[in-house]
Amino acid sequence: MATYPWTEKYRPRRVADVVGNEEAKSTFISWLKSWFNDKPIKKAVLLYGPPGVGKTTLVHAAAHEYGLEVIEANASDVRTSQALKRSVLRAATEGSLTGYKGKIILMDEVDGIEPSADRGGLRTLLDLIEGTRVPVVLTANDPWDPKLRELRSKCLLMEFKPIHQRDIIKVLKKICDMEGIKADREVLREIARRAEGDLRAAINDLQAIAEGRRSISLEDLGPLSSRSKQYNMFEIVRKIFFSRSAEQARAILAIPSLDYEMLFQWINENIPLQYQGSIEAIAEAYDALSKADIYFSRIKRNQEWSLLPYALELMTAGVALVKHKPKLKFTKYSFPQRLKLLSMSKEKRELRERMCSFIASKCHVSRALANTEILPFIGLIYKYNRREGVKILKWLGISERSFKELIGS
Amino acid sequence: MGEALWVEKYRPKTLDEIINQEEIVKRLKQFVKTRALPHLLFAGPPGTGKTTTALALARELFGENWRNNALELNASDERGIQTIRERVKDYARTMAIGGVPFKLIILDEADNMTSDAQQALRRTMELYSRTARFCLIANYVSRIIEPIQSRCAVFRFQPLRKEDVLRRLEFIAKSEGVEVTDDGYEAIWEVSGGDLRRAINTLQAASALGGKVNSTAVYRVVGRVTPEEIGKLLQVAMDGNFLKARELLRKLMVDYGLSGVDIIKSIHRELFNPKANLKLPEEVKVELADLLGEINYRMVEGADEEVQLSAFIAKVALIGRKLKGG
Repeated sequence: MATYPWTEKYRPRRVADVVGNEEAKSTFISWLKSWFNDKPIKKAVLLYGPPGVGKTTLVHAAAHEYGLEVIEANASDVRTSQALKRSVLRAATEGSLTGYKGKIILMDEVDGIEPSADRGGLRTLLDLIEGTRVPVVLTANDPWDPKLRELRSKCLLMEFKPIHQRDIIKVLKKICDMEGIKADREVLREIARRAEGDLRAAINDLQAIAEGRRSISLEDLGPLSSRSKQYNMFEIVRKIFFSRSAEQARAILAIPSLDYEMLFQWINENIPLQYQGSIEAIAEAYDALSKADIYFSRIKRNQEWSLLPYALELMTAGVALVKHKPKLKFTKYSFPQRLKLLSMSKEKRELRERMCSFIASKCHVSRALANTEILPFIGLIYKYNRREGVKILKWLGISERSFKELIGS
Repeated sequence: MGEALWVEKYRPKTLDEIINQEEIVKRLKQFVKTRALPHLLFAGPPGTGKTTTALALARELFGENWRNNALELNASDERGIQTIRERVKDYARTMAIGGVPFKLIILDEADNMTSDAQQALRRTMELYSRTARFCLIANYVSRIIEPIQSRCAVFRFQPLRKEDVLRRLEFIAKSEGVEVTDDGYEAIWEVSGGDLRRAINTLQAASALGGKVNSTAVYRVVGRVTPEEIGKLLQVAMDGNFLKARELLRKLMVDYGLSGVDIIKSIHRELFNPKANLKLPEEVKVELADLLGEINYRMVEGADEEVQLSAFIAKVALIGRKLKGG
């Protein structure tokens, strides 16, 4: 499932549609074009400026327009030199197999690289720029950080400025039109003013007060004060489980810029904890949540936005109002473990994926079938008869060491 | 270097070597002779020779340089229809080389394409019918949309006969100098369910143990191919321990890299595995199969794997409670 932030829904797909910063835009495009003539002015650019002014958006729009595959590594990934080498460096020096015309490497928020925690990350980045055969784009909020000095000297710098209020208003107006929402001038101007040049923030604020409504006015801005106020997921989950009416459970949805996808994960994690002891309640709650999930997937596949309310109601009221509701005890809720597991196992999953592609191409099967129908047998052969196993690995082009790493557990 | 995996080493290279599909082979050879080929749809259970036949056909049509005129794609691996469409188009656009009238595009696991993707493919098939022929491969004809079916000559691959599977295994064992006992063959036949790929892989893994391949060796291998967590998962869910079951589920997805559909399929196989530890009344098996089918469908349509499987576990727990409570 997915949340549907309007910032994603309305993210421009073409360079011409990226709002503001015309100068930086045209410099960026001519730099990118210089790559197509094999004479790049510089190998990397550093786009810098405050958040929400379109740095990343421009890169994606340009990539889309010129048929480039974006290889992305952002602040949420580990950026040790090891991790960088594995993911990005390979991409920088290999050709593309995927039908794109080329690649572009995007490293978001390089000022977030911690010299101490991301061991050697900056060093590797410099090496990457040195050796790259594809365009490299870095972004930063603060490019003048002393640790970026060397990096700065290797890059073409392009400044992004806050978006003009009138441009923000134009974008908000357009979104309102597309969503079929009547909005008066005052409220849009006020949202734009408060955003202080941050277009993303403005769109988020608009979504928080306008989504699912026919019209908005200045009064609706009331509950929306400061964006930095973090809502507390533990509290929200508790409110949902303790609701006694559909109305009460649905009220949660009025929280501005609530992250539905995150909430979905939290509810999934905590159903068995809150309803522990009553398998009937767990089953009913999961029946509702799994149906909400079906609606989410339909929304995603067919852009059926009109289904969103049903999904959200099933996910909240449906989970809260089970027939066999046990007496609710105080429950220590848990952060969604699955997200943690997925990020922890990322490297191993990628390793498996790579191996399965080797097998797939040699054995005329899909990667999924390689994983279930071939890989386990190779594991056994290797275990029982190492020589035979090594022969197979060699034939497949898989190194013994990475194979052992994979089957180790 | 020669193929080290027996499934590849002993994959038939010519149509004549293909076992058990005499009628199909006869028709295909006719096509090769006249050098006129309709679009093809090969359907049938796994491991009955569909891909092998398609590859052999390409070889017979185009000779040793068959790869110049044949494109092999796997629909499960190409994430979006976009990729398929573009690769197929790029490929089909140009003329075949070496004096053959068309190119061959082999699209394996085609039933994993969404119906939208199939609709798009149908147009591509029409547009390039002058330069390219398609050979679609699927487990189920019914999962291929009718307009595509109607454009193809449909060949249904029969489940392999026991004597044919055993004859092939004997041939391989002899060539590899492996001794297999009668009950060893019997066991391989039983656990592979007519899937020759599985049978050959099982034979190779069992022979890696060293010594004679008997039923003990075969069952030792088979017990380890499917992660033991699958069997445990059902047991623990039946016992009503939801949290433990979810933990196993996550282990299967993370440590074994299994997709939701993989897990559903394995549970299904475990359900009807006569050697499984879990003893269930027959009517419960049917009830569970119904649930599995529904969850499988939802996941294919793009639903969240963990949430759907959790919903499944919870229902299994309810069934388990009913069984115990009477």
